[in-house]
Order: sequence, then C-alpha cells, then structure tokens
Amino acid sequence: MKVTWKLPGGEAVTAQADYGQNLMEAAQANDVPGIVGECGGSLACATCHVHVAPEWTEICGEAGEFEDAMLDLVENKQDCSRLSCQIELAPQLDGLVVSVPAD
Amino acid sequence: MTIWTPQDDGHADLSSHDTFANGAPHNTFARLRRDDPLHWTEYEGGKNFWSVTRYEDITQMNKQADLFSSARGIRMEDQSYEEYLARRTFQETDPPEHSKVRMKLLKAFSKTTMAQYEEDIRTLCAEILDQALAKGTFDATKEIARQLPMRMLGRVVGLPDADLPWLVEKGDALIANTDPDFTSHVLDKMQTDEYRMMPFNSPAGAELYVYAKELMAEKERKGDTSGVLNLILEPAKDGSTITETEFRNFFCLLVAAGNDTTRYSIAAGIQALCHQPELLDQMQTGGAVWETAADEIIRWATPALYFRRTATRDVEMHGKTIREGDKLLYWFISANRDESQFEDPFRVDLMRSPNRHLSFGQFGPHVCLGMWLARLEVTVLFQELAKRIKSIEPAGPQKFLRSNFVGGIKELPVKVEAI
Ligand code: HEM
Ligand code: FES
Repeated sequence: MKVTWKLPGGEAVTAQADYGQNLMEAAQANDVPGIVGECGGSLACATCHVHVAPEWTEICGEAGEFEDAMLDLVENKQDCSRLSCQIELAPQLDGLVVSVPAD
Repeated sequence: MTIWTPQDDGHADLSSHDTFANGAPHNTFARLRRDDPLHWTEYEGGKNFWSVTRYEDITQMNKQADLFSSARGIRMEDQSYEEYLARRTFQETDPPEHSKVRMKLLKAFSKTTMAQYEEDIRTLCAEILDQALAKGTFDATKEIARQLPMRMLGRVVGLPDADLPWLVEKGDALIANTDPDFTSHVLDKMQTDEYRMMPFNSPAGAELYVYAKELMAEKERKGDTSGVLNLILEPAKDGSTITETEFRNFFCLLVAAGNDTTRYSIAAGIQALCHQPELLDQMQTGGAVWETAADEIIRWATPALYFRRTATRDVEMHGKTIREGDKLLYWFISANRDESQFEDPFRVDLMRSPNRHLSFGQFGPHVCLGMWLARLEVTVLFQELAKRIKSIEPAGPQKFLRSNFVGGIKELPVKVEAI
C-alpha cells in the first residue's frame, strides 16, 4: 500500500508501507522528517503527530481518549490531528495522505 | 582512540562494577551480540539476570511493557516489595498508571518549553567555559561537564541558585553510589540496611527527601507556582493527586536523572574532540551539523548503560525460556554499538542521520523525559566551546566511573588553546 506525507516545506514523501505496521513505523522506515516516534508507539511521547487530510479523517477514525489527552500537548493541534503510532495500516487506508505539522 | 578495553577478554563480568572502571567491556558486548544475544548473567550480589545486547531485541522488547515490566525495579539490584513501595517513582510503574503521571510532565519538558531556556543555557555555558578555559590545562569533567546540568535543572525546576552546588553533590552521591569517589556509602561494599527504604539506597536520598519537602512547603507559603514541580502536584483529570512519598521520590529522580547523564554526555563529547580533531573543524563550520551533533555525542556517551525490566510471564526467546519474575537488563551501551544498526559504530560522526540510538531508552513508554533539555544543553555547550578554542588534546589518562549503570569519564584532563 501507499502513503503520502506532506512536509511543512511543501514537498511530499510517497512511499510503500506494509499492512500491520502503524503509520509512525511506516514513517520511520522511510525516514520521513518530523515523525520522530521516540517512544516506539507507547503513547508516551507525542512526537509522531500528523494532520490527516480531510478526505481521510473519517476512515482513519477519531483519536481515543488518552490519545486525545496526549494531543493536547502538541503544537498545532487541529480537529484532524492524530498520533500516527495509533493508526494501524489496513487495506482501506491505501493511498492515505497526511501532513507533518511544522513544530 | 581507545575503544577496546584491553582488560576485556570477551568474557567480562557484566554484573561487576569493577569491570566498568576501565570503560565499558565492548569486546564482551560484541561477542554477546554475535553469539549469545540473550545471555544468562551470574550475579554474586543477588538473583542472576538476562543480558539483552542486540539493538533489534531491545527495541522490540522495550515496547512490550506488559510483558517486560518496570514495576518490579529498574536496576540490577534486587529489592523487596516493601523497599520497592517506599522508593519507587513513576519510572517504576507501567502503563496505564505510568501514563497518567507522565502526561502531566510532558508539557513541562517538551521541546517547545525547553527551547525557551536556550538563552539561559547559553549564558551559563559562557560563564562556565570562560572560567575553565582560562586555566589552559584542567579536568574537563570537573570544570565544564559537572557544572551545567544541575544549574540548568535548578532553573527549570525553580530552585534557588544558592542551593545548586549542594544539589550537585547530593545528585552525585545518589546515582554514583558504587564509586567511592562520590559516596562514602558504596552500595555493594557495605551494609546499607539503614537506607534500604531511601531512594537509591543512599543517605543523600534521605537528605534530598527533607529538602524536597521543605522546598514545597516554602513554595506553598509564598504562593510560588513557578517551575515544573508544581505541575505534578496538581490533581489529575480523575481527581487523584500524587502522594508525598511519590513526590519526594520524583524530586530525587529529577536530580539524579538530569545530572550525571548530561554531564557524562558532555564529557564524552569533549573526549571525542580530543581524539578526532576533525570534529572541532566541523563544529566550527557550523550550520547543519548542529541538527545532528548532540544525538551523536549522546549515542557515543550512552551514560545510562542499561535499564532493567522484569518478565511478567514465561516467554521463549532465542531458544531459551525467560521465566516469570526473571530480571532482564537492556544494555543500551551495547545496542548503541550494534554494527547491524550503526555503520562504523565506534566512530563519532556528527552528521549521522538518521541516528536512532537508544541512549534515552527510546522505543518504550519510559523514553527519557529530559531528552529535549539534554539535547539543548549539549548543543549549546559545544557551540560555545567551538567558538572559543583552537585545539584541544588529552593532558593525562582519563578515569571512568566505577559503575555498571552510569557510564562516564569522571576525570578527563585536557589541554586547550583558546582562540
Ligand atoms: C543525556 C542525558 C540523559 C540521558 C542519556 C538519559 C537517559 C534516560 C533513559 C535511558 C531513560 C529511560 C529509563 C527506562 O527505560 O527505564 C530516562 C528516563 C527518564 N529521564 Fe533521562 N536521561 C538524560 C537526561 C535527563 C534529564 C536532563 C532529565 C530531567 C530534567 C531526565 C529525566 C528523566 C526522567 C524523569 C525519566 C523517567 C521517564 C519515565 O519513566 O517515563 N533525563 N532517561
Ligand atoms: S510514537 Fe510516541 S506517542 Fe506515538
């Protein structure tokens, strides 16, 4: 499957990702700048923040309660904010587009 | 550069603090990574433990906090349940309990919050460096590396400047409790029964306890809400508050965790400058190097040599059975030299990128809370140092800390030529 990360500078990274990975892991595997993922997906660092493109927000779903509380800590929180380690990649997300917020 | 400790025949005793008094036993780690990545290590002072040495294994295991728990101790030494309860901080808890406390602290230690301290740090660095460099030949650990972290932590936490030298001393005694240069109560060499309930088994812990209590009382009296300590005293969303014991332990944790680790990162960076002169040129060229330099210096240093977990049920790995209750040591120092993750791991490459080292315990829920502060301190210190010197070289033998937990160069004689 494919995922596209739009970067703050205007460029974008489109890369192949695997089902079963989460979106943070896919970003790390492709060295996407700005997605650090320090806690390895333990919901403990909020360094994997993305804005989900409008056409994908519904399919991605909403942040869970704890994730939402963590998102209160990031700069640039928006309604479409998610922590990407909490998005499991699955067939219905093929083609997913997210952007990496400037920090 | 001396990398391989000649005393290490590949079979060093990882449970012995003496082993590390000559630097980390990298020959042994290299052998274990290759031949025995899950190594049953005998420990005279307590229960034997598993040594985990590969990068890949540590990152996979550190994520699984339900299986490999922090809630039964995070150091090699064993402790009874009573000791654990008396001494634990949120670092010795697992999610979801852990997450609740951590969340309250994240903002105070976030990258953005820390960035506000940059100018403060720069001023402090300038002061420290100008004093040290004027000496020409000096012990870089003592004159440079030792000074910055505590003073800076004091600012962040909101402590009076006058208390800082005392705190540096107590912080030393707390964590370097296996090196006779830092404490008169060497942990593995005497009966410390009296202090068993104290953080880090140390009388310094007892003193910090009292200090923390008085500090809070004073702040309350004055209505002073500056600094991060107050953040954790606020009730959580569910109304629960931190107990006094938890608070005092957390205070000790900040002093201990923010002090030596940053100090020994700075020391290791200075040592690298002494042995790879091209690094100073690179720093003086500046620019992009500062985006990556701190992480490489901190990878090189790996001041937290390991952290421990305990298995919560039986699990198979590498053809062996880890039993419920078994201790596991994640040797970050070994993972950070793992040749399958890092190209040329024994070379300091300030431009290394990506650099997913494990010095901060990355890939787990306990990933260092102070990492942004530490990175900023290291960056600014070296920026200011590079501005001020033409050359730096060793001026005598370096000495390592006697500890298998904190890795650090405790004496680093250098000679500098100022610009
Ligand atoms: C280069 C400097 C530093 C290094 C190498 C370092 C290393 C680490 C490591 C490896 C852990 C994870 C422990 C585990 O997995 O159980 C950790 C956790 C922690 N560190 Fe640091 N640290 C540094 C600086 C700091 C500073 C400056 C502070 C405070 C201002 C700090 C506060 C903490 C705290 C509170 C935790 C516990 C976090 C938790 O359990 O969720 N550290 N550190
Ligand atoms: S990787 Fe840490 S919260 Fe997502």
